[in-house]
Amino acid sequence: MAKKEIPAQAPRRGAQQHRIGFADRSRSWRRHHVQVAKQALVRLKQTPVASLMTLAVLAIALALPGFLFTALNNLQALTSGWDPEPRIALYMRTELSDQTIDSFSRELLLREDLSSVELISRDKGLEDFRRYTAFADLLDHFDHNPLPAVIMVTPLSTDPTTLSPLQAELQALPGVSEAQLDMEWVQRLNAIIALAERGSYVLGGLLALAVLLVVGNTVRMTIESRRDEIIVSKLVGATDAWVRRPFLYSGFWYGLIGGLLAWVLVQLALLMVTAPAQALADLYLNRFEVSGLGLVGTFSMLGAAALLGLIGSWLAVTRHLNEIEPGES
Amino acid sequence: MAAIRFSNVSKRYASGQDALLNLDFELESGEMAFLTGHSGAGKSTLLKLIMLMERPSRGQVWVGQQDLSRLHRSQIPYLRRQIGVVFQNHQLLFDRSIFDNVALPLQISGYDPADAARRVRAALDKVGLLAREKHNPITLSTGEQQRVGIARAIVHKPRLLLADEPTGNLDPQLSEDIMRLFGQFNQVGTTVLIASHDLSLINRMKHRMLTLRNGRLVADG
Repeated sequence: MAKKEIPAQAPRRGAQQHRIGFADRSRSWRRHHVQVAKQALVRLKQTPVASLMTLAVLAIALALPGFLFTALNNLQALTSGWDPEPRIALYMRTELSDQTIDSFSRELLLREDLSSVELISRDKGLEDFRRYTAFADLLDHFDHNPLPAVIMVTPLSTDPTTLSPLQAELQALPGVSEAQLDMEWVQRLNAIIALAERGSYVLGGLLALAVLLVVGNTVRMTIESRRDEIIVSKLVGATDAWVRRPFLYSGFWYGLIGGLLAWVLVQLALLMVTAPAQALADLYLNRFEVSGLGLVGTFSMLGAAALLGLIGSWLAVTRHLNEIEPGES
Repeated sequence: MAAIRFSNVSKRYASGQDALLNLDFELESGEMAFLTGHSGAGKSTLLKLIMLMERPSRGQVWVGQQDLSRLHRSQIPYLRRQIGVVFQNHQLLFDRSIFDNVALPLQISGYDPADAARRVRAALDKVGLLAREKHNPITLSTGEQQRVGIARAIVHKPRLLLADEPTGNLDPQLSEDIMRLFGQFNQVGTTVLIASHDLSLINRMKHRMLTLRNGRLVADG
């Protein structure tokens, strides 16, 4: 039917008709990205139950480390709010007279590595003991005051490496029976927090792996269900990147939406924990406020979730796409 | 210039079966030829070598200026974009409209959507299915599905058109219509190679005929 319109040189025509310029190609590349991103989202909606199940698993796997990190952040904020000043208690020999101890404490004041010196005399100690403890009766069994005088000194440096030598030095001073660094419990708490932090990294890593596997498996099934489409596309000249793209986008969406749901879960969990945590904190000090994920936390969580989804689908796609070649069909 | 050139090509499958043996032939640009032989004679294998769905065990295949043995895996898509293929089982996708099926090669090559739509409609018009563009191909008869497959194969105006048993399941009248369609594409300059065992139909078409038997080219003319 087209015969009469053919010019004499017709045989060449078919071959040279369509060169696509670079600008067109990059425009179509962007167009394909937008289109594929939308389609991937539509596909999630087409199988709502299956998608929701997957998303729920992802949300829980992502929410757990999210919640842990938030809790740890709060704990760190709490302990950093506490007075970090280490103090050394010098227990004086009981046989020394009050006067000697007083002049000893004055000498300490001259030292340049101490910022404050506070003398708690034996009488004052006895008084405090009677007032603050339930064992006041105990003292009645003694015929003399059994408590030593205590000098509380605050070192200028808070660096643990200088504190220990200082403690040893003070301990060696004549008249001092024992010098006790009273920061050890803070150090212990910090060590526990550090351990918990490390533990939450391990847990976070394991759960990240779970996210990769869940997304990977879901994408693998999507690939399987779209086998025909992949084969036909490859036959009419689709590049690997073109074929891969929709699956990468579904992985990305799974990650991002899973991350959003996880964020909601973390916020809900925080909401439930805030009141009791506040009450607990109020028992110790009153300037503590439970903080949530924050802007940075939120974005890192969403970013990590989307990235994990992308990596998970990438792994599945590279692994399974090469198996689907038109040749074998 | 040769559109297709086979130079001493053999293909042996991993099972040890020789699908093709020492094949030598050329198909000139703008030529139309039939590839015949019993089923299992190697027709499909020959077409697959041109599409690089398979690689030859020995010898060289040229498509236009390209030596396919030098073509890296990543370049295969660009080779396939120059070729239109019609499959016996037409390989249509039933999750989308006829229009979208035909538009797929253009989408993949990165055509502007408006330009693509124009070309898709032109191709559907040529196979007489323009009125059905919005339908799902599953609603079509076998002959109509085959015509959609043809529209998809020619929508990007390939310089080379391959067809593997395009009339396999069709009645004689439909088969003749389809063959006439291929003839029309050939008349506008497309090189056409059709694998078919429908000898009575081919004999009427009076084109070059390559006959394969047990993987060897036994007749050419």
